[in-house]
Amino acid sequence: MTQRGHGTRRVWLPAAFLGAFALVILGRLVQLQVLQHDAYARQTREEQTADSTFYARRGSILDRNGNVLAASVDTWNVYISGRTWRAPERSGPASDQLAKFLRMDPAAIRAMVANKNGDVLIARDVDYETGHAIAAAEIPGVVLLPDSKRVNPEGDVGASVLGLTGLDNTGLAGIELSHNGDLLGKPGKAVYERDTTGDPIPFGRSVVEEPRPGTDLVLTIDRYLQQMAEQKLDAAVKEHRAQGGSVIMMDPHTGEILALASSPGLKYSSLDLSDKKQVELLKNRAVTDLYEPGSVMKVVTAAAAIDQGVVTPDTSYVDTGEIRLYDVTIKNWDDRVYGTQTMTGVLQNSINTGAVFMVEKLGQPLFHKYLDAFGFGRTTGIDLSGEAEGIIRKPEDEHLEPPWSPVDLATQSFGQSISVTPIQMLSAIAACINGGMLMKPHLVRATIDEHGVRHDIAPTAEGRAISAETSATIRMMLEKVVNPGWPDPMQPRNYTAGGKSGTANVPVASGYDDRQIASFVEFAPTDDPKLIVLVKLDQNQDLLTGRVAAAPVAAAILDDALNYLNVLPSADAKQVRR
Amino acid sequence: MAAINHPYGQRRSLPVPVRLPGVNGWVLAAIVIAGLAAMLPVLQNSTATSRGFQVQRLDAEQTRINGELRLLEADVAQLTSLPRIQRRAAEIGLGPGETPIYVTISEPGPAPAKIPSEYLPGPAPKTDEPESWWQSLLKWVHLGQ
Repeated sequence: MTQRGHGTRRVWLPAAFLGAFALVILGRLVQLQVLQHDAYARQTREEQTADSTFYARRGSILDRNGNVLAASVDTWNVYISGRTWRAPERSGPASDQLAKFLRMDPAAIRAMVANKNGDVLIARDVDYETGHAIAAAEIPGVVLLPDSKRVNPEGDVGASVLGLTGLDNTGLAGIELSHNGDLLGKPGKAVYERDTTGDPIPFGRSVVEEPRPGTDLVLTIDRYLQQMAEQKLDAAVKEHRAQGGSVIMMDPHTGEILALASSPGLKYSSLDLSDKKQVELLKNRAVTDLYEPGSVMKVVTAAAAIDQGVVTPDTSYVDTGEIRLYDVTIKNWDDRVYGTQTMTGVLQNSINTGAVFMVEKLGQPLFHKYLDAFGFGRTTGIDLSGEAEGIIRKPEDEHLEPPWSPVDLATQSFGQSISVTPIQMLSAIAACINGGMLMKPHLVRATIDEHGVRHDIAPTAEGRAISAETSATIRMMLEKVVNPGWPDPMQPRNYTAGGKSGTANVPVASGYDDRQIASFVEFAPTDDPKLIVLVKLDQNQDLLTGRVAAAPVAAAILDDALNYLNVLPSADAKQVRR
Repeated sequence: MAAINHPYGQRRSLPVPVRLPGVNGWVLAAIVIAGLAAMLPVLQNSTATSRGFQVQRLDAEQTRINGELRLLEADVAQLTSLPRIQRRAAEIGLGPGETPIYVTISEPGPAPAKIPSEYLPGPAPKTDEPESWWQSLLKWVHLGQ
């Protein structure tokens, strides 16, 4: 009995122990595989899977004829593992080898890596072929990561329109910024199972989303005309010792901008963003800066008055040289007395009292309604960021300082007490001469998607500003401004043209100071305008008027540009010679 | 009963066949199948790995070719850029034109260059086919209503 009892204990004690142990293991297995299954499965997936992002190719920017203005090329960023280069016997030969590819001083490379453990960026945007050569050389501790950079084959031509991209390849200014969403594309992503070395396991589970390349943009800009505009503007700024200026060329019927030059403007060749003055150049002054247009506004006043039927081109009045309104005397720009004048004469001689005559006939509500129809006081919607709305003093604005007075209406008729952008002014005059439609100025003509399919962007009419008959009348009146019957530097050599000058002092808190802005808007040919040009010179030190300083530049641009665009010379233009 | 003479005299016993250990054909087949089954994952793994390397190599090749393509596109753009054309024009003695002279001529312009027929659009589909009698009848009935 005793032996049997001992024998039983010898069996069941280990059995009980093993059973208990088995239960513990079983419990743990249940805990791991059943209760915490999801958590551990997730942890395993995270351990076994990796993901990587494929950056999409940024779209190219082309001019209206398909010439490349901006494109992206693949580059490499070169890093060095500081830990690998800690041993001098390794860093010495490696730096010598790397320096040959990068054309750098080996000692300088070693100094950049010295006392650093992590990866150190040695060179950014190394060209594609050099990067491949470095990779093939298998230099210890050198890591190459793919990147891309923007190239501008045309150099500085159109830089102020195109803008630029940052290190992360997103737009910072110009078209690169305003169309960043289209150009950027959509990055792709791959999630895959990886092996112990981190490489994807062949035919393992993977989810791959291909990157979608950015859209190419076809601009309305013509590279030749853009270069011409920039060169002529730079020459005019230099000749008239101006602080800067703008030249815009536009198709008056569609609102397509063929050239848009600003001075001072962005130049890739001398770009230094650490200089605060250069950061200012990122904005395009032709759409961001306001100015008082001066007498160019008389065209709008005349168009409104004729459209409303309160005057005709032959309506006459007597100019006494000045008008007294309340306690303010408004004089003509040249202090002259012109006597009896028609409305055409008002534009020809740029008579301030004549513009006041027209706006008084029109009345404030109607005049401001026309200003609205011509797009003043709001952005034109041009595809450049930072566009200014402009300022129009109106009676309903309660917070004006000084408050609104009827004198404001009078001065607005000849382009004071109103601030506009050059692009607004050009669009308004284009509406005056194109048949009466206010067209939205735009810089993008078409887009080309990832499959190479081109999508044209139709011109947008913002609305009718004046009737077609009024527009024809204004064209005729403006032709008489440019061609009064004798040779004048305002006239293009080969084309009939119409236009209007403006010279306005710069407003300051106490009124106006001696600084001036001289401008001229001109179109040609008069019977069917193909091109309208605005030339604006800021604070020209020689104090010449828009008619003398800006008009010859506009006329020369029209001659050259229309010839380039294969527009046949006007038969009537042979009568005039500059 | 007649005795039969034995040709060899004394009777010899027949040889007993050697009995091999019991190897069943089914067992052999199972072993072969199991062996093949064991080899299959190895072969699969080997093939998958080599294909995987091929795919990776082709991916890298595609990336390299795309990069070179973009580089070549940029090169073409650089070579056809306005500053380069103008510089080259100056090198060979060309300059901006003077004021153009436009001449009116009474002769017609040159005939447009002939385009090979394969590049011309095909003939327009005929739309004015004569109606069949029953189509005319249907139309007449419809008009009659």
